[in-house]
Amino acid sequence: MTGTTRPGRWSMLLWVAPAVLLLVVFVYYPVVENLRLSLYRWSPFSPREVFVGLDNYAALRADPVFWSSLFNNAAYAAVSVVFQVGGGLVLAAVLEELVRGRLKGILRTIYFVPAVLSLTITGLLFQFMYNPQIGLVNGLLDVLGLDAWKHSWLGESATAIWAIIAMSQWQSVGYVAVLFIVAMQRIPRELYEAAYIDGASRVQAFFKVTLPLVREMTLLAMIITVSGAFLVMNEVWVMTAGGPNNASHTLGTWLYKSAFFNDQMGYAAAIAVVIFLITMSASILQLFLGRGKAVQY
Amino acid sequence: MAGTAARPRYRAGAGDGVGASIGRVVAYVLLIVLAVAIVYPLVWMALNGFKSNAELFGDPWGLPTTWRWENFGRAWSLGVVRYLANSVIVTGGSVVTTILFSSMAAYALTRHRIPFAGPITVLLLGGMMLAPTVALIPLFRLLQAIGIFDTYWALIVLYTAFRIPFTVFLVRAYMITLSRDMEDAAVVDGASRWQIFWLVIMPLSRPIIVSAALLQALFAWNEFVFALVFINDTDLKTLPVGLLAMQGRVLSDWPVLFAALTMASIPMILLFLAGQRQFIRGLAEGFGKG
Amino acid sequence: MTAIAGTSRHRRTLACLIAATAIIVGACGDGGATTAPASAEPGATTQPASAEPGATTAPELEGSISFLHKYSDPRYAPYFEAVVAAYMAEHPKVQIEIQAESDQGVKDKLRVLAASNTLPDIYFSWAGDFTKKFVRGGLAKDLTGDVTGDWAARFTPAALEAYTYDGKLYGVPITLDAKYMAYNTKLFADNGVAVPTTLDELLAACDTFEAKGIEPIAFGNQYGWPAIHFMTQLNPYYVPADTLQADYDPATGAFTDPGYGKALDAFAEINSRCLTQGANGISHEAAQASFLAGKSAMHYIEAVEFFALTEKGGAPADLANNWDFFMLPAPADATGDTGYLTGAPDGFLVNPASEHLDIALDFLDYLTTLDNAKKMVADLGWLSPVQGSATADNTFPQNVQTIEDIATAKGMAIWLDTVTHIDVANAYLNGVQAMLDGTKGTADVVADVQAAAASAKAASE
Repeated sequence: MTGTTRPGRWSMLLWVAPAVLLLVVFVYYPVVENLRLSLYRWSPFSPREVFVGLDNYAALRADPVFWSSLFNNAAYAAVSVVFQVGGGLVLAAVLEELVRGRLKGILRTIYFVPAVLSLTITGLLFQFMYNPQIGLVNGLLDVLGLDAWKHSWLGESATAIWAIIAMSQWQSVGYVAVLFIVAMQRIPRELYEAAYIDGASRVQAFFKVTLPLVREMTLLAMIITVSGAFLVMNEVWVMTAGGPNNASHTLGTWLYKSAFFNDQMGYAAAIAVVIFLITMSASILQLFLGRGKAVQY
Repeated sequence: MAGTAARPRYRAGAGDGVGASIGRVVAYVLLIVLAVAIVYPLVWMALNGFKSNAELFGDPWGLPTTWRWENFGRAWSLGVVRYLANSVIVTGGSVVTTILFSSMAAYALTRHRIPFAGPITVLLLGGMMLAPTVALIPLFRLLQAIGIFDTYWALIVLYTAFRIPFTVFLVRAYMITLSRDMEDAAVVDGASRWQIFWLVIMPLSRPIIVSAALLQALFAWNEFVFALVFINDTDLKTLPVGLLAMQGRVLSDWPVLFAALTMASIPMILLFLAGQRQFIRGLAEGFGKG
Repeated sequence: MTAIAGTSRHRRTLACLIAATAIIVGACGDGGATTAPASAEPGATTQPASAEPGATTAPELEGSISFLHKYSDPRYAPYFEAVVAAYMAEHPKVQIEIQAESDQGVKDKLRVLAASNTLPDIYFSWAGDFTKKFVRGGLAKDLTGDVTGDWAARFTPAALEAYTYDGKLYGVPITLDAKYMAYNTKLFADNGVAVPTTLDELLAACDTFEAKGIEPIAFGNQYGWPAIHFMTQLNPYYVPADTLQADYDPATGAFTDPGYGKALDAFAEINSRCLTQGANGISHEAAQASFLAGKSAMHYIEAVEFFALTEKGGAPADLANNWDFFMLPAPADATGDTGYLTGAPDGFLVNPASEHLDIALDFLDYLTTLDNAKKMVADLGWLSPVQGSATADNTFPQNVQTIEDIATAKGMAIWLDTVTHIDVANAYLNGVQAMLDGTKGTADVVADVQAAAASAKAASE
């Protein structure tokens, strides 16, 4: 057997050393250091740090943009759970149960394609789609006779974040659906046969067989979608940069803007702490649920 | 993909009848409408790359009157070629380092009894819980302190560090399941650990390595925040940030921007089409067993 | 020190040579052809005194510097590349690395660079508090003792003044800019609209166009600054100059004058009767496309953008031959000063930590020689702060008129978003965007601005 002699055992540490070192230096240390930095005030122009205690957190509490950013992240999470997880689940079931042959593979590939594109690409594309004068969205509403629904989608405080969220659903629903398809393919067909013999319809089979067996997967997908929604930054920065009137900021863009536009580096670190707490909680929840039950099939 | 072809189809369910047939037609129509809704913006993006500014603004829905390939040429020389090259370097570099370091760690943790195996595993996998954004401000200073700020290394190192946890997770789960037979045979033949790792374990782990490499490539290719903050030099920008800079430059020449977006989309789409199965396997492993 | 003195001697010799060359070229052009619109661009062809070997008497400059500008637009970048290439040809041991950013991109990029101690040797900065931030942080070199004599004398004094704080000069101006209402003369004539001389006349003109289904003023405010440029002009109309100056200084800003509210009201009125609706979702360039296509009667635009309205700059002939401009007219009940023109020079600062200050200064000197200024005017259609750089020969008539305008203006109102403290600038940028989509009123914005001014004041103490 390898690795049983004493010097051999210790030398195996060299094998994990690069990974451990990189993580400690570039992942763990910065996260801890960020906690410290959130207690200071400094600007990009004068790197001298001034200790301010919890002032940055007090400012956070009083900052309406922080709260609206948090709300936007939450909205992102909620919509994504409904459309990406819920929609993806239904889409996967329909695709898996109804579509045969080549078409199935083709559709699956098509649905997945947007997910491999950079958010900068899709963001810039949708910025144009949402253009109030020549964009396809308003153009489509015109064709459908829904003139009254037309908006300057990214230019109005009330619609900007929702327009961005909608883009994200377009991009990701296929991705989640494909993950569900993989999970569904692991379900033994006999369970369906049995359900049908019992007289179940397809819809009933979905609720009786599919849903319980992808329950774990659904929960995990929800948690991952939610924690991902609190990290959203790229598409918002590309499409609106948080505007108009700071209405479409997320925590990520507000962090960046605070640090590199508003000259408040310490404040940005405090926002990072909030992001840390939220995503950490989601991860712990995920860990807990992942271990809670053995997979049923 | 993922073994669908081989699986025998079940017989029609009890609900099948006229109503079910109508339901099926409706479902087919909806599925195809959805496919069109997903593909159309991408097709539109590519078509717009061939238009003139006047056509784009005059008739945004129409086809270009002539195919202006020169827009693509202009986009190419205005930066796309540079950004593509940078993305390839950073992505390639980080795939190599991530896969190498993660596999080494996974090998040591699964095939040997090493000291502190528990804490090390927790440390490596626990990194999955930490988001890049949280480390942004301190990293900003750290990278300067060690002198790799505004270099390819800044991105390669960070993309590696932040993706080791996920990659170790994938590879480790796979290596645990490998049988010891071939390894033991190699030991008998007097192979060193390094030889066993390269010649036995890595080839046996090939499926998951390919999946992990594809996912790492997807991540590195599209990463935005680090690339935005840690690269200043125009010549070092990767695609996600470079394209944004390009939008600021060709402000009044939209077709060129669309041409650029189209060209930038192609590599990842091709990679996905080529490695679809491995892509999805990796995602499913990482997701379903999280 | 000796090296710097040496280079400045060299600089003078060179400048004389360039001036001489320019005169000769000009004279030849005038004598050779009688009208010659073809030779109307001597600047474009004059490669500035390329490598006159005799001129290099001073100790040779050696080393490499970085140079960040915000003109990455492919229409503009080649000029800077050409000047840098010409300079390096003259100084074979000098390397200049260009970092080209876009107008939007440079705002955060400069902060990232400042925070990371990686500011280039020469970098772009707007006049106003934007530059003062670098000054306060010790990141901008005091150029008072460097830009002297012949070099200083080249510039319009107002341009240097914009980069002067507490009596010290920190920036070398590169362009001269002013904000105007460009208008389509054909649409004006066809609809019987005269050039408005008061704000009310402008609003009435908008009504006329609106009634005929023509968009009065093409306006895109996605970036926020287009609306701010209206405010930059309206504030001095309504607020007395002294008050304005005190308020724009973070240390004394209060924004309590009732004129600020009136200026915002005036903007709201302009918005409802003249401007493109949904403007926060439209980029400035998309709005400009509508003006270029002859679909809009007017477009509020910077003089540095005039080039885009010429055929050489890509405008359709229909528009290129049918546009003119006027200053945003003052209201009849102006309580401020109507002599101020919105605009400012753009310029470059020098990093005091530069290892090659001599090269940085020498290059900036070179960049602002009369010859290179002329080339810039001819190539890019911009106005230069170098006196005598724009003539009827090397630029279009609208630019010549602008020069006269700037010369006669009582003063320049620097962009509101770069002249004020960042908090105040943000209050304006966000507030006006909110007014455009109806989520805030004048009183809300005034309150926001006052609160921001108070916090900026507290921070500066």
